[in-house]
Amino acid sequence: MIAFEHVGKRYGGRFEALANIDFRVRRGEMVFLTGHSGAGKSSLLRLIMRLERPSRGKVRVAGHDIDRLHHSQIPFYRRQIGVVFQDHQLLFDRSIFHNVALPLEIQGVEHREAARRVRASLDKVGLLHREGALPIELSGGEQQRVGIARAVVNKPALLLADEPTGNLDPQLSADIMTLFEDFNRIGTTVMVASHDLALIARLRHRTLRLHDGRLVADEEVA
Amino acid sequence: MSRDPSPSPRGARTHRPTGGVRWRAWARHHRTMAVDSGRRLLRRPLGSLMTMLAIAIALVLPAGLWLTLDSARLLDAELEESATLTAYLEIGIAEGEAGRIEEALAAQAGVAGTRLITAAEGMAEFQQALGLRDALMRLEGNPLPASVVVRPGDPDPEAVRGLAEALEGVPGVDEVRLDLAWLERLRHLAELGQRVTLALGVLFGLGVLLVVGNTIRLAVENRRQEIEVVTLIGATHAFVRRPFLYSGAWFGLGGGLLAWGLLTLGSDWLSAPVSALAASYGASFHLPRLGPEGSTILLGCSTLLGWLGAWIAVNRHLAEIRPR
Repeated sequence: MIAFEHVGKRYGGRFEALANIDFRVRRGEMVFLTGHSGAGKSSLLRLIMRLERPSRGKVRVAGHDIDRLHHSQIPFYRRQIGVVFQDHQLLFDRSIFHNVALPLEIQGVEHREAARRVRASLDKVGLLHREGALPIELSGGEQQRVGIARAVVNKPALLLADEPTGNLDPQLSADIMTLFEDFNRIGTTVMVASHDLALIARLRHRTLRLHDGRLVADEEVA
Repeated sequence: MSRDPSPSPRGARTHRPTGGVRWRAWARHHRTMAVDSGRRLLRRPLGSLMTMLAIAIALVLPAGLWLTLDSARLLDAELEESATLTAYLEIGIAEGEAGRIEEALAAQAGVAGTRLITAAEGMAEFQQALGLRDALMRLEGNPLPASVVVRPGDPDPEAVRGLAEALEGVPGVDEVRLDLAWLERLRHLAELGQRVTLALGVLFGLGVLLVVGNTIRLAVENRRQEIEVVTLIGATHAFVRRPFLYSGAWFGLGGGLLAWGLLTLGSDWLSAPVSALAASYGASFHLPRLGPEGSTILLGCSTLLGWLGAWIAVNRHLAEIRPR
């Protein structure tokens, strides 16, 4: 599903964020991406989302060299990836329902069908009863679950999460990870960047460890 | 959706709408954005009104000038029709002879009508116009020639000049006078006015672009986070642009309507003194009003300018906004 082939990324010609990254993630896998802050986790995710282009090497997603995408194709490429952000990136001027409906609105899904999918998605994260609320009325954990509902509402084949539990207490973090596992179980490829090592160790999934922009460990769990 | 680059079986199934569905979705988004951006304007009524007023003021001057020129052109046409030639006959020609010469003049090609003014009639008019009755009474005999006023068929100055030469060749005609200089001056003035209006129109149109552009730039800045988020989850540029383009168009339309109101008010306010002034010159001139056609042009132009200003602003700022 994801293949990095000797990928390097430099910023401003000097700072080397990623160097010679080489790995593959199979369809339907769940993978943790870990490392100290500044190790290059976010840069790696940004490359997959095609927010940035590698300085060297190739990034392939679903068999396509995404560096070769024409810029008019990029939006359509991104629609196939669900992304969960550490700071949720919810829009505070509209309700939970409309936040989750945003990807469907962008894709022009018909209203009734969109409402059905939004409710299914909110139900999945346990927030169906809050659909009319504004994000500001929700707790941090709930906001993150809305972010997840939005990321999965159009059933993406690939789900990326960048420090999704960064600001949450251990119990809420565990709940969020369980949600990711649920989505993985129904076939979604999931990649979660996190520095919560204790939680990651408990969950027993394949873990890619970055250190100073290098891939220093790729631990499969038996 | 042939542009969809990387089909995964799951992803492909969930979003690959057919052409008709996509078209309906597109139309629906347009409708939603038109209404939504209108509501956003109404949510800040004072700010929106200020922007529209700025647009209106920028539009009023060129539109007003244009209107005035348009009516001046009508006046010009009227004056051209009243342009006449005067053929002075040789002095001492008897009245019967003068009548025959008038007939000869009327038979010339390019003559639409003639009117004979005998020497006596000329004298009477002269006395009346100058109030010199006593002085003129003392003259022995009548020093004025009889004359024939000729109305040309074609009021074009070149044609009139040609006709004057032809009429001078008619026996018994001493001299043909035509006073076209003022007509030509008026025409040059009108042309100057047209160019000034055009230049002002372009300048003030640019002003509208800047006003709208600046307003939209602020709106883009205010909704930066929203733009970043929708870009991250796969919104096209067109999708992101759409609400701002509608805002620009609404601003333009609102400004156009205000300009229309100002023009109507202004023309009401000025019409009495202008008519009185015209009447004192013996002319009838009424300040024009925007007809349905003019109103449509004004509103169309203002809406288009608003849309264009928004387009320029959004495109410039979208390039700057990259999701972090």
